[in-house]
Amino acid sequence: MHQINSRYREDAEQDGHESLFALDRLSFTYPDGKEALREISLSIRRGDHIALVGKNGSGKSTLVRHLNGLLPLQSGSLHYQGKTLDPTLLADMRLNIGILFQDPDNHLFCNTLYEDVAFGPMNKGLAREEVDQLVKRCLADVGLSHLIYKPAHHLSYGQKKRAAFAAILAMQPEVLILDEPTANLDPKQELIFKELLRAFQGTLIIIDHDLLFLYDLCDRAVVLADGHIHHDYSFQELVSQQNALREHGLDFTFRFTCCGNDHSHPQTSSHQHHHHHTHEHGGRDSHTLIADEKTPILELQHFNYCYPDKTTGIIDANLIVKRGETIALVGENGAGKSTLAACLLGLHHGEGFFLFHGEQLNQDMRRNLWKQVGMVFQNSADQLFCPSCWEEVAFGPQQMGLSKKEVEMRVAEALNNVRLSGYEKRVPLNMSGGERKRLAIAAALSMQPEVLILDEPTASLDPQSQELLLGILNNLNMTRILITHDMFFIRELSNRTLVMHQGRIIRDYPTSTFLADDHLQDINGLDYTYKSHCLDQIMDLQYHNGRKHTPV
Amino acid sequence: MPVPGKIIHVSGFLTVGILLLVILLSVQGFISFKRRSKNKNKAETPDWSIPTLDAYADSTSFFHNWDPAAKIGSLFPYCFLIISLKSPFWCAIALIVSIFSIFFSNIAWQRGLRRLAAMSGFLLMFLLIVPFSSPARQGETVLIFPLLQSLPFHLSGFLLALTIVLKAFAIALMIEPMLGTSSLPLTLQGFSRLGLPQAIIQMILLTHRYIFVFQQEIIRMYLSMRVRGFTARTDLATMRTMGNFLGMLFISSFDRTQKVYEAMLCRGYHGIYPTFALPQTRIRDLAKSGLWILLGILLLVLDRVVPVLPL
Repeated sequence: MHQINSRYREDAEQDGHESLFALDRLSFTYPDGKEALREISLSIRRGDHIALVGKNGSGKSTLVRHLNGLLPLQSGSLHYQGKTLDPTLLADMRLNIGILFQDPDNHLFCNTLYEDVAFGPMNKGLAREEVDQLVKRCLADVGLSHLIYKPAHHLSYGQKKRAAFAAILAMQPEVLILDEPTANLDPKQELIFKELLRAFQGTLIIIDHDLLFLYDLCDRAVVLADGHIHHDYSFQELVSQQNALREHGLDFTFRFTCCGNDHSHPQTSSHQHHHHHTHEHGGRDSHTLIADEKTPILELQHFNYCYPDKTTGIIDANLIVKRGETIALVGENGAGKSTLAACLLGLHHGEGFFLFHGEQLNQDMRRNLWKQVGMVFQNSADQLFCPSCWEEVAFGPQQMGLSKKEVEMRVAEALNNVRLSGYEKRVPLNMSGGERKRLAIAAALSMQPEVLILDEPTASLDPQSQELLLGILNNLNMTRILITHDMFFIRELSNRTLVMHQGRIIRDYPTSTFLADDHLQDINGLDYTYKSHCLDQIMDLQYHNGRKHTPV
Repeated sequence: MPVPGKIIHVSGFLTVGILLLVILLSVQGFISFKRRSKNKNKAETPDWSIPTLDAYADSTSFFHNWDPAAKIGSLFPYCFLIISLKSPFWCAIALIVSIFSIFFSNIAWQRGLRRLAAMSGFLLMFLLIVPFSSPARQGETVLIFPLLQSLPFHLSGFLLALTIVLKAFAIALMIEPMLGTSSLPLTLQGFSRLGLPQAIIQMILLTHRYIFVFQQEIIRMYLSMRVRGFTARTDLATMRTMGNFLGMLFISSFDRTQKVYEAMLCRGYHGIYPTFALPQTRIRDLAKSGLWILLGILLLVLDRVVPVLPL
């Protein structure tokens, strides 16, 4: 264990500033015996902007749940504004502390956005006119004024996340605590969050693995590991020390890339559609194979899909997926990426040509497509439903009707591939986010599909889990389709990128060209390069820190 | 033993005609259903989404501009008055009133028809079974079909079944103007002002919101099973898989309730949903209510005084 750099606590004492939160030897153990917090001593001052970081399962969420009195004190003490927590103080405190949890659906429990956002201010006892103004202003701030009287189930994930944030901001909190605020959001929505957080004047505590997002928001970093505070220093100190980052699974330097900075590639194709056709169409109902072309595994030609409520999902998609390719599928939230994946899996029946190994997909082929196309969903918790890891991974092969011996062999191989050997009897529900993601991949791999589709594989994973995942995905010898906003994964894994916007594939070009494409922002508002300057600064810090510690 | 007043022997020709008509209508229905299913298969997957009760709450109409408490307070007793009707004729008039109400409330016809379609299977069985199985009454008309001499068709039974069907349709259609012309929270506020406990109101509100969230969770989990080849069969393996599926849903639902409660606590919840002063009932709302109750009473009086086609 490290000696904790307690500069912040000392400063607070010297300044004579009263701590907003003062935690002393706080410990917490869950009913199942898991020790989540051990002897936490921490002082949080008014106006602090803290990045609370650490591996998955290090105790970050448990700590912030204490700050709002959601978990009872077991041992140690917690003072808010110098006072011990009692029920009266707790009620007042909760009205001054806004917590944004990961899943926005937990925050949106009313039947319209207006009521959801008004819930907090009304509990504060504000006047009707004041509440009305607050609701309208906060929803306008997050760009959702046009949906003010809509129920939350009519919103996309990104919109829900913003609505939940508006509901917290409307309480005008003194302290804002955010748990993974930008997980699964596209860069455009991430920027909205960042701008609002920059403007926030109060005390800010953010749990996030994305240190680039935190870089110019936080001035202090508290690093948790196994329920202990391992470091408590300035954020710049944290990012400049690569060894400390690596030790706590936070080393994101493996993803150092210079997206958008590499302009060496010719941009001739940046405004072209690259819809590769391997077939010619005599009419809408016939197609003939071009003899010389190597037959792709999957092919869509003039493919359209409408949702049952008549909303357009996919418009005139033309796409080929060749053996061994790794394709990145990018676009704003709601662009149609997951819908396209569902079409490729045969879950959505669209109009147009859908060819599998050069043959138009018929009902029988569609029914068996799951054997050839595997999918790892965005939220791996939704994919896992068996009581043990072995059963989870064996489910697919068992449905394929394989022999017991073959199933056992495939399960062992798949678990080994994702470095989960020995986890056979573990309960998936009790595993960490990173482990569950790997288990979901193993469940798909055990079916040995020709194509594997991964939807946001890196969302909510700590950098160490991401690095592990990168290694696993790199070693997969199959055709891969990655749906992601993660530029590093796109660059590292894919050789072709499809950009989707409003249900259309607007770009289909080599990944190198995509990385140098400065014009995308004009089309779909996605700026994949906005973190580059943070990255450059962090690299500089690490370089100088490295030189400082190098013996002459 | 009751003696029928009139016995009509239906000719074989007419029986065959009726049978042919029924068969033709069934075939026509089946063909149009298949055609629709085929067209749907081409372009879309079936719409299993849960219809929202208050989808038309934003419109304006006689019913939309009516205070929810007054509206529910009068339409609800009106439905009970309809239940009290005995004559199929006046039940048919009540059904016409309901149809006009749907028309004047600017709600799409499909919603009403879907509501009726959901009940129609059960109610059509009434129309088929009750006439053949109702007890004989003194002086009633009985139809005897060829080959079914031992199973007479009682006209009084048919009228009874028809009355039930008409009443059910009239009330089912009335639900749309009653509950679908205000937003759910406003409608529930109306119920609250009529004395329904707040705890139940809050439970309904939360249930309504999270039905959609759980539906999404179910769909996502089921899709993940389907992409791994799961097909529901009538075997042990399917039962085991469905057991796991339901168990996991239960756990995630339990987890969700805890998290929602925590999110509510974090925003100052202390056991009571905050509301501003409730809307006041105006004179014109009371006038509408009075009008509607009068209509119900009028139907009931006419039913008793001028019984057309009595049972």
